[in-house]
Amino acid sequence: MARKLLLAVLTVAFIGALAAGAVFLGLLERSVVSREIEQPLTAEQMKGLVKRGAYVAVAADCYACHVTKGGAPWAGGLPFETPFGTIYSTNISPDREHGIGAWTRAEFHRAVRDGVGKNGHLYPAMPYASYRKLTAGDVDAVYAYLMSREPMKVANRENHLPFPMNIRQGLTFWNLVNLSSGTGTEVAGRSEAWNRGRYLTDALAHCGECHTPRNLTMGMKESAYLQGAELEGVIAPDITKAGLTRMGFDPLVFASFMKSGISAQGAMTNQMFEVVHFSTQYLSPDDLAAMSAYLFDLAKLPERATPPAPPQPVAVSAETASSARSTYLAVCASCHGVEGQGIPHVVVPLATNASLRLADARNLNRVILSGIPAQRFPGLERMQPMPGFAAQLTDQEVADLSNWLRANWGGQKPSVTVDEVRRLR
Amino acid sequence: MTIATRTLSLTINDEAVGPIDVPETMMMQDFLYEYLNLTGSRMGCGQGICHACTVIVEKGDGSLEEMRTCITGAHWFAGRKVRTVEGHAKRDANGAITQLSPVQQAFIEHFSFQCGYCTPGFVTGATVLLDQLKRNPVRREALEGVISEALDRHICRCTGYVRYFEAVRDLVLRTPGLVKA
Repeated sequence: MARKLLLAVLTVAFIGALAAGAVFLGLLERSVVSREIEQPLTAEQMKGLVKRGAYVAVAADCYACHVTKGGAPWAGGLPFETPFGTIYSTNISPDREHGIGAWTRAEFHRAVRDGVGKNGHLYPAMPYASYRKLTAGDVDAVYAYLMSREPMKVANRENHLPFPMNIRQGLTFWNLVNLSSGTGTEVAGRSEAWNRGRYLTDALAHCGECHTPRNLTMGMKESAYLQGAELEGVIAPDITKAGLTRMGFDPLVFASFMKSGISAQGAMTNQMFEVVHFSTQYLSPDDLAAMSAYLFDLAKLPERATPPAPPQPVAVSAETASSARSTYLAVCASCHGVEGQGIPHVVVPLATNASLRLADARNLNRVILSGIPAQRFPGLERMQPMPGFAAQLTDQEVADLSNWLRANWGGQKPSVTVDEVRRLR
Repeated sequence: MTIATRTLSLTINDEAVGPIDVPETMMMQDFLYEYLNLTGSRMGCGQGICHACTVIVEKGDGSLEEMRTCITGAHWFAGRKVRTVEGHAKRDANGAITQLSPVQQAFIEHFSFQCGYCTPGFVTGATVLLDQLKRNPVRREALEGVISEALDRHICRCTGYVRYFEAVRDLVLRTPGLVKA
C-alpha cells in the first residue's frame, strides 16, 4: 500500500516537473504573431507607414517610458520601482548595438505582442499584455516609425532584481497565467466609435495597466476591469462609467479633459499628467470622442453636456468643521477660494474636484502633505505649484481638513483618521 | 453685508499685537499693511510664487521658519512670534535704525539689489538660512548648493541673483560655526 502511494506521489511529482519544465521552456507559450510577419516589409512599405506609426506610437504612449528627462530620444533608461526590484526601460531607437536597429519585423512584433524580445522575455512593465491586442498593421506602423528615428548610441541599464526574478525565462509562468489568447477587441453589434474606443482603451492606451487592480500574480484582475487600483502610493481612480460619473465627468467634459488635462474636476497629476503631456493631447477629436463613448458605454458622444448632479454634502462634527475651516481659510483659501472656486488658469477649484469624491482619501491627503509641482498643460495653460503642508499642519489638522473638504464638496463620509495621515508622511 | 471677523493676538517684532478683530478671510499681507502699516513685505505675485512677501516665524524651539504672507491667512499667525523685514535691524529708543542685521549689511556691501522689490524676501530667506546653518553646519564643498537650494524660490528680476548669492556666501564663510571643517 505504502509503495503504491509512493509510486503515485512520484508519478504526480514527475508529471508536475515535466509540466513546469515545459512551461519554463516556453513550449506552452502561444505567439499571436502570424507567420506572414516573418516576411520583411519593403523599404517602400516602411516609408509609407512612418506617419501612421508616429500617431500610433503617441496613442500607445511609447515615448513616456522609453526616454528619461533630458535623455536621448527613444534611448530608454527610465527606472521602474517594482515590489521586486528596479527595472529599466530599454533603448528602442534603431541603433544596431544598443537599440532595435538589428531587429526584424517579426522580432519587433513578438516583443510588443508576446513579450518575447530578441534577447529574451520582457518584464510586464512593458504592457505587452495590453499591446497583445494591437493590430498587426499598427505594430508595423510603429516599427516603421521607430526605424525612421535617429539611432542613439546609449547602452541599456542593468536591472536590479533578486533571484529568481532576474531569470527572464521565468516570465513564461506569468505569461501562461496572465496573457489572454484572444486578441480581438471588436464586439459585433456595437458602434464603430464604441469599438474604436475599446481598442484605444484596451490595446493602444493600455488604460487597464494602471486602472485595473492586479491579482496575486500581478496580472490584471479582469473581474475588476478599470475599477481603480493603487499605484506607487496613489489611487488610479475607477474609470468605469460609474467611476467617471462619481468624479463629476460627463462624456463631453471627459473627452476634453483627456485633451487638455484641465477641467472643473481638477488638473491631471502624477502619471496621468505625463499621459496627457506625451499622449492624449495629441489624439484626434474622433479618437477622444471614441474613447469617451466607450468608457461611458455609448454608441457615440452626445451633442450636449449632461453633467451629473453634485454630491449631497455629508455632516461632520462641529469640532471637525471648526478646525478644518480655520485651516482652510488660513492656508488654502487664498488660492482655492473661500467657496472652493479656484482661480481660472492658475489654481484648480476644490468644490467640483474629483479627488474629493473618491472613496479613498489617499490622493487628497498626499497632495495636502506634499503638494504638486508647477505643471504646464496644452494650450499655454499653466497651473501654479501647490506647496505641501507637512511642516505646517499636524496629523489632526490634516485629517480634519480632509474630512471636511470631502464631506462638504465630495459627499464622502468623514472617515480619514489621524493614523492614516501619519502613515502617509 | 458684514464681513465675519475673529479676534487675533500675536507677537510682531517682539511687540504684542491685539487682541484685535480681523476678517477671518484676510491674508497676513493685508493685515500687516492695513492694520499695522508694516509695508516692508512686498506683494509680488499674490500666488505664493515669488516669495517677496515672506516673514519669519520664530518657533517654540527658537528655530526660524519662512512663511508667505500673500497666501497665508492672518489668523494662521495667531499666538505666533513673527519677524517682518522691519524687525531685523537694531533700533534706538526712538525707533531709528542704529545697525543693520548682518544679512542686510552684506547685501549693501555687495550691491546685491537694484530696484529692491525682492529684497525683503531675500533678507528673510537668508536670515532663516543662517539660522539653519547655525544649528546644522554644512561642509564647505556643499555650501554653494545649500545656498542655491535655500534661496532658489526667491525671484529677482533685475540683478540676476549673483550678488545676492555672493553676499550670502561671503557672510556664511566669515561667520564662525556655520561651515564644518
